[in-house]
Amino acid sequence: MMGKLLAAEFMKIKRKGIWFLTVLGPVGVVAMQMVNYGVRKDYLFGQNDDRWGYYLDNIHSFTPLAIVLGIVILTSFMSSIENETNAWKQLIALPVSKMSVYLSKFTVLMVLLLVSSVLLMLFTIAFGLFLDLGGEIPYSGLLKYSFYPFFAALPVLALQLWAATVSVNQGVPITMGILGVILTYAGFTLPDWLIWKWPLLLNEWNEPLINVLLGIGAGVLLYTAGMIDFARRDVK
Amino acid sequence: MEYIVRTENLSKHFGQEKAVSGLEMKIPKGEIYGFLGPNGAGKTTTIRMLLGLMKPDSGRIEIFQKDLKKERLNILGRVGSLVESPSYYPHLTAKENLEAMRKILGVPKQRIAEVLEIVRLTDAGDKKVKGFSLGMKQRLGIAASLLNNPELLILDEPTNGLDPSGIIEIRNLIKSLPSECGMTVLISSHLLSEIDQMATTVGIVTKGKMIFQDSIEAMRMYAQQSVLIKVSESDKAWRSLLGRGMKAGLDSGIISLPQQSDEQVAEAVRGLVADGFSVYRVEEEKRSLEDIFLQMTREEQAG
Repeated sequence: MMGKLLAAEFMKIKRKGIWFLTVLGPVGVVAMQMVNYGVRKDYLFGQNDDRWGYYLDNIHSFTPLAIVLGIVILTSFMSSIENETNAWKQLIALPVSKMSVYLSKFTVLMVLLLVSSVLLMLFTIAFGLFLDLGGEIPYSGLLKYSFYPFFAALPVLALQLWAATVSVNQGVPITMGILGVILTYAGFTLPDWLIWKWPLLLNEWNEPLINVLLGIGAGVLLYTAGMIDFARRDVK
Repeated sequence: MEYIVRTENLSKHFGQEKAVSGLEMKIPKGEIYGFLGPNGAGKTTTIRMLLGLMKPDSGRIEIFQKDLKKERLNILGRVGSLVESPSYYPHLTAKENLEAMRKILGVPKQRIAEVLEIVRLTDAGDKKVKGFSLGMKQRLGIAASLLNNPELLILDEPTNGLDPSGIIEIRNLIKSLPSECGMTVLISSHLLSEIDQMATTVGIVTKGKMIFQDSIEAMRMYAQQSVLIKVSESDKAWRSLLGRGMKAGLDSGIISLPQQSDEQVAEAVRGLVADGFSVYRVEEEKRSLEDIFLQMTREEQAG
């Protein structure tokens, strides 16, 4: 059943600009560094002998914002597909379980964000090579900065998907999303337990992997809670 | 009798308001069941419960003699539905809309062309639904409901937004479904004339309660007939009829004989003629189903 549902979901996101946004996110993040390095390349090169590491840090300064903002926009787009003409009633009246419908939406979003993450990695390498940073490409750091934020942001994804699907008024998830983006922006000063801080990969133990594990754990919990609530509700 | 749909003591409330209470619906196989009631009577809520979109507060639903709670997916695979305003994905074409549903239902691809043909949307198949008129969207919804060749078709106000020729087309389509495809059809409407022209069985619901459920013929029996006689000097004529011990009424110059057999009418006319009155017209007055429907729903409200 999941295979059929996913095929249908990927069909429904056609022409919605969803794939465009998926590409735009990583392009935007790398483009910020194109401007940064374009304007003051020599100064930046002088800042740190580990030029690749410093470059990755710079890239990462925009990744969390892009991913949280991306999640807000994508979840809202995804649910608008069904909300626009209340197609939920048509979809749920098909021989599918509500839980699998919810799972298919979540899976599509995860795939989109993973595609973004892969693209981010590729663009990062490409611009890094173009800058001629010298030395070995630090692949482990590259993977870490490309994919860790995705896993750390899973709780935000689960929360936003739930809010976007169950709210009749889309102002609610959008407001939540904007607050989330602000929290991520101000993440440096916030306590570690706030899920919006996690994509920054900062914590008091200085171990980014903790954010990844927390992200997966809390993500699964929030996803399950959201799915159960969705299945429990009557379809309007 | 084999019932395709059977509900037992079905109830649902929203907060304080009881939308459906103790509803017992029985739809025999191969019938076109007209589900009739004023706006807000609980028709759509009932249909939503039949499709598993809403959970009943109490009661049981059996479709194809299986418990909906336990075998929802199995049942829904054999049901087609159109609930309230049509749902569609405006950024996709009509074909893509059907394809998104076809993928989930797992029916052969050629079915899309077939259902588009049935609702006469073949020419618009590659256009985005965004630009469709309401009538076209409604047809697309009907096409979608036919995709899986359902054994039970549930249509909530299917002729909403259609023009007269569209209404006739859809009506003929619905009428042909039981004999041609062996379907059982449930159509809801607040318009009695609509139901009158299609349904073979009628269920009337008001304030969430089923107040009548039987064949359409049985409902027509409710239409009390009376015979109206127009005569000269109606006042005197009326009195002479009463004098002969007949039940008669007089209303603005017209005598009415309620529920009379043919002989009694003949006797009345013979008597009038013998008494020297001119009989201008003898006609039968049939109360329309509309009147019965209004009376039934009104009685329920009063009581």
